[in-house]
Amino acid sequence: HIQYERVGADVTMKCGSMDWDAAVTWTANGTDIDESHLNGSYLILKNVDLSQSGQYSCYEGSSWHLKYQTYLRVGTPPKEPVLMCRSNNYPKGFYCSWHLPTPTYIPNSFNISVIHGTKDMVCEKDAVPKNRCHIRYLQLFSTVKYKVTLTVTNALGKNFTSLTFDEFAIVKPDPPENVVAKPVPNNPRRLEVSWQNPSSWPDPESFPLKFFLRYRPLILDQWQHVELSDGTSHTITDAYAGKEYIIQVAAKDNDIGTWSDWSVAVHATPWTEEPKHLTTEAQITETTSASTSSFMAPPTTKICDKGAVVGSGAVAVCWTAGLVVAAYSVLFI
Amino acid sequence: SPTGDSWGIFTFLCAALCNLPALPALNCSEELGAGQSIQQTYDLTRYLEHQLRTLAGTYLNYLGPPFNEPDFNPPRLARAERVPSATVDLDLWRGLTDNARLAANYRAYSRLLCYLRVLDGQVGMAELRHRLAHFCASLQGLVLSIGGVMSSLGYPLPTGPAGTPAPPGAATAPNDFLKKMDDFWLLKELQTWLWRSAKDFNRLKKKVPPAVVTLRLEARGF
Repeated sequence: HIQYERVGADVTMKCGSMDWDAAVTWTANGTDIDESHLNGSYLILKNVDLSQSGQYSCYEGSSWHLKYQTYLRVGTPPKEPVLMCRSNNYPKGFYCSWHLPTPTYIPNSFNISVIHGTKDMVCEKDAVPKNRCHIRYLQLFSTVKYKVTLTVTNALGKNFTSLTFDEFAIVKPDPPENVVAKPVPNNPRRLEVSWQNPSSWPDPESFPLKFFLRYRPLILDQWQHVELSDGTSHTITDAYAGKEYIIQVAAKDNDIGTWSDWSVAVHATPWTEEPKHLTTEAQITETTSASTSSFMAPPTTKICDKGAVVGSGAVAVCWTAGLVVAAYSVLFI
Repeated sequence: SPTGDSWGIFTFLCAALCNLPALPALNCSEELGAGQSIQQTYDLTRYLEHQLRTLAGTYLNYLGPPFNEPDFNPPRLARAERVPSATVDLDLWRGLTDNARLAANYRAYSRLLCYLRVLDGQVGMAELRHRLAHFCASLQGLVLSIGGVMSSLGYPLPTGPAGTPAPPGAATAPNDFLKKMDDFWLLKELQTWLWRSAKDFNRLKKKVPPAVVTLRLEARGF
């Protein structure tokens, strides 16, 4: 026998069919309860808290016969649940997942209903993770909204929440997978980044994804961004030489929905030349003049290669780099 | 009755506007190649979709509540079935031939344009009328663009509107509220069609090989 009570409630337990004035002993989890809590043979628990959950037993005074036993579980009725629905596998369907904002400490059952116009649809519960269900689209490009209602019930009460949305509004792919960033040999300012479509996206041919790449050297806070409408690779051409970079990619359906979360971050450092040993003075002069001339003859074509960089952010950096290098060249003439 | 006369005029206008012959933009698209015109048509649907977002917001505000409320979710009435719906069974949509896919788009936008023009004629606000007119012009461009793609691929243009677009006069809204509901659903279907078209043209982009166009040009002695 289980008894559910709210936190803060006053609980009165009767010793089964025993009279009020019978002599009884109550125990909580095997420990005798002090007589001060008794009102005749009734056990009074005032303002119960979670720690008072447990097994309560009532024994007849002299014979020590067990007359009544109950399991008390103190908890709360459910607060309004949090519900989220998302289509990461468009156009196959969508999933909804939910949770309670605060625990109730007692068992809860969830019931989810999906209505599309006048039609009731079944959201199939997933085994793992729990608190998640998925639905298959029967029709595509629907103008009618979907209404998902989640009801949570326990022994102390119930609560519910609803979401109403259009087919297109909940499209959000998973982040791109297998992001790899590699240095490019003999190119101290380049990093080659490649990735794959998220495996949950079922049809990238008909529903192509576009991508957003962001990167910054670990030592700076400012991200640089590139938006790519095609392809699953990109070469960064304006990396600071020798600095370790952190790189992430996000995905979005070309036309509808919202951006995915950022992918797992990858780190990479551009290729650097092996340091040369300076043994003679002649070689020292050589290297000094070599470094001066490298300022004077800026490899602008390398920094801003056509076709390598797409996106206004990267173009802005190109121009800035070009101007800075031009300024240096003037200084060293 | 005066109401009957004005509806008659609208019906006539609609029929006239809807039967505009496709202009000879066909020559241009043949030279460019089907691939490029598919890209252009795709770009046009994206442009229209962005335009529609602002336009629909303004128009729904003009209609007033509850039409401009974000969670307004009315049941679809039978009368709303006149407006061509983008909704389609998933497998059916996947299996559409290029011709069928293009024809569905062509027919839908021809009819939607028709309804939108009538809407434009009835709006009381000058600024809104101006914006609707601009949108209609762009939408007309889309219809022609789709027609151009079809011709360059050798497909015949769907003759006349599929059936006759039920002239708006035929099923006049019996009251002001139902008329506004009609407008609401028209804008909704238009928006959904534009989202669908982006996907339709994505599919066409991948499926139309440049070689097909070359063959056709050769056949015509170019």
